[in-house]
Amino acid sequence: MSQPTSQSTEQDAILRAGIDRSLRHPVMFFLTSGAAWLAVSIFLGIIASVKVHSPGFLSSLSWLTYGRVFPAHVNALVYGWGMQAAFAAILWLMARLSRKECTMVGSILTAGHVWNLGIALGVIGILSGNGTGMPWMEFPSFAWPLLLISYFAIVAGSFIQFRIRPVGHVYVSQWYLLAALLWFPWIYVTSNVLLHCLPGHPVMGAGINAWFRSALLFLFFTPVALGVTYYLAPKVTGRPVFSYSLAKFGFWSLAVIAPWAGMQKLAGAPVPYFLPYIGAAATALIFIPACAAAINTLRTMASAPETMAASPSLRFAAAGMAGLLVLAAAAVLLNLPGSTLRLTQFTLSGYGFDILALYGFFTLSMFGATYFIVPRVTLREWISRRLIKVHFYLSVYGIITVALVALFGGTQQGLGQENWQQPWLGVLDYARPYAVATTFAWCLILFSNIFFFIHLLLMWMRLGRRSSHPTLLVSHHGGNPHGEDGDIDNAGPGHAHAH
Amino acid sequence: MSLRTFIIGVAASFGVAWLAVIVVPYLKMRDLQPVLMSAEPGAALFHPKRTGRVADGAEIYAENGCYLCHTQVVRPVYAGNDLYRPDWGGLDADESRGDTRRETNPYDFEGETFAQIGVNRIGPDLSNLGRRMDVLQAAGTDPERWLFARLYNPRLNPDLYSSTCPPHPFLFEKRRVHGAGSPDALAVDAGEGYELVPRPAARALVSYLLSMKKDHPAPASFDFAPAKNDSES
Repeated sequence: MSQPTSQSTEQDAILRAGIDRSLRHPVMFFLTSGAAWLAVSIFLGIIASVKVHSPGFLSSLSWLTYGRVFPAHVNALVYGWGMQAAFAAILWLMARLSRKECTMVGSILTAGHVWNLGIALGVIGILSGNGTGMPWMEFPSFAWPLLLISYFAIVAGSFIQFRIRPVGHVYVSQWYLLAALLWFPWIYVTSNVLLHCLPGHPVMGAGINAWFRSALLFLFFTPVALGVTYYLAPKVTGRPVFSYSLAKFGFWSLAVIAPWAGMQKLAGAPVPYFLPYIGAAATALIFIPACAAAINTLRTMASAPETMAASPSLRFAAAGMAGLLVLAAAAVLLNLPGSTLRLTQFTLSGYGFDILALYGFFTLSMFGATYFIVPRVTLREWISRRLIKVHFYLSVYGIITVALVALFGGTQQGLGQENWQQPWLGVLDYARPYAVATTFAWCLILFSNIFFFIHLLLMWMRLGRRSSHPTLLVSHHGGNPHGEDGDIDNAGPGHAHAH
Repeated sequence: MSLRTFIIGVAASFGVAWLAVIVVPYLKMRDLQPVLMSAEPGAALFHPKRTGRVADGAEIYAENGCYLCHTQVVRPVYAGNDLYRPDWGGLDADESRGDTRRETNPYDFEGETFAQIGVNRIGPDLSNLGRRMDVLQAAGTDPERWLFARLYNPRLNPDLYSSTCPPHPFLFEKRRVHGAGSPDALAVDAGEGYELVPRPAARALVSYLLSMKKDHPAPASFDFAPAKNDSES
């Protein structure tokens, strides 16, 4: 009886190694160029943040005026880093879970280059003063068809892999990823066509734009990050998911609630009255799917505390889920019509919420995925435990500062705005100290991500450690800061350790 | 669950919301009907007039990210205290019309393709900037020149010393003075024999900003402060 089992384990390992090998360049391409855009975005974010409290900084250059640097920062973060990190995770996870090798490497890499070209031209377009003035859609209008076509070319293979997979159980990660794959083009085409090609009423245009931002967060970035975490938590701990029915409930409640969210940004603007209310209600209700997923995955991780302490992937994934819990609480607290919505609607807290979602939740989850996937596709282990630790702590401290300062500072700013007996200029004083703190925190995050980018680049160049022991965060032997010394991987990709 | 059922489920949960919050409101608002000023026979159509370079000024506004710090919406009191501020929704003491303050309505964005509702209020709301400039003009200041100086460097004006609005020197051109010089030249020292004059983009933007007068009397059907109108007439 044991003979066929061990043979199938062997075959399994060979299949997994084949999948990993087929995806080495697409996955590393998207992660590395994503990390480069992340560093660019944070750099632009620092410039923008300095300008909020010191408006004279670099002010003679039209390319670096606040009104252009800030949109360039956000768009580079969303499309340059966020989308590309998501592509890497989707490509790898869909291939692994469908048990199919990637056969479209050439077209994926070509489309990936087109995608990066689109982002680069878009960012240059914004900085040179050709932005569209629609938040998160500031790229000049030539960019969106280019990005859409490359999107289809990048993910088509993942969808085909799922169709032709060997019949079997569909895991909850696949639901999240498939749904994100379907929702993104729907959201992106709707918003871009209605705003660029068939402009309707200008105020409804602003409403569609607000919905677009919310939908991109909750119907693309959220499902991708949750799909990844639902994979990592049981995989790394070796324990089953805490509750599978809670996972199903979390998925379907997100699918039903999230598409209604977003238009609370237009409270009081002349759009049909039900839109802001339904948007506020849906955003607050996102608390339910967010908590379902965060608690479910955190309980799964908590079943193996020693792995949690040692594994970089799990530590980042857990931090991402903690970010999701904070995001869920913020979604409720910031969007209560009649009490807090009026305070937060036009303040720093809008940015704080977006950054909390994009960095504190999505990006930390993607880092978790990166630390898991990269050693498998490059067949090398991470070079330095210290670099991972620096990356983790600076990222987490930085994001806590950015998000909480922006959320709390935003509420303070809102209180100042609502106090109509006070002259307007006084309101600025409420926001200033928070702006200074934000600059400092972005500097921490930039520092951590420059090291991350270099680490990743070295891994792609296959300069990682040739060892069969993964780089863990705690050392049992002491001494070597780069993790345990181990056997050199001479057995080649088919070897059983490559799980 | 089969792939087919899954896709139908995911598409339905998304599609219902998509129709209800995007498609139907989009079609209804695209087809906004003209409104009569009152129910009385012979009442005029509500048609707020707007003069200035709205279309190309709005483009400059968008390209330079003004919407990141300035809003263009005066919310009704259930959504915020904007209307209480003396000069945001109109003027609390206009010379001829008295209190003209009102909330923004969908007809206020005439000539624009995208309403710059805005995302943050680091600066004040601009819905009625043109009306505030009227007040300055009545006090003897040229509003265009005031706005040019304001765009060049907000902190040149001692009243705004703590403003964090970015300076926009790139909207101005340094050139040799010819004859008496340009009437729009900034009152700053540009060097011996030189002057700073607004580029076309600055002119378009200022013209757009001056067109911001969104306090025309609203039609009876959506005038939420009718008592105010009674006391006027």
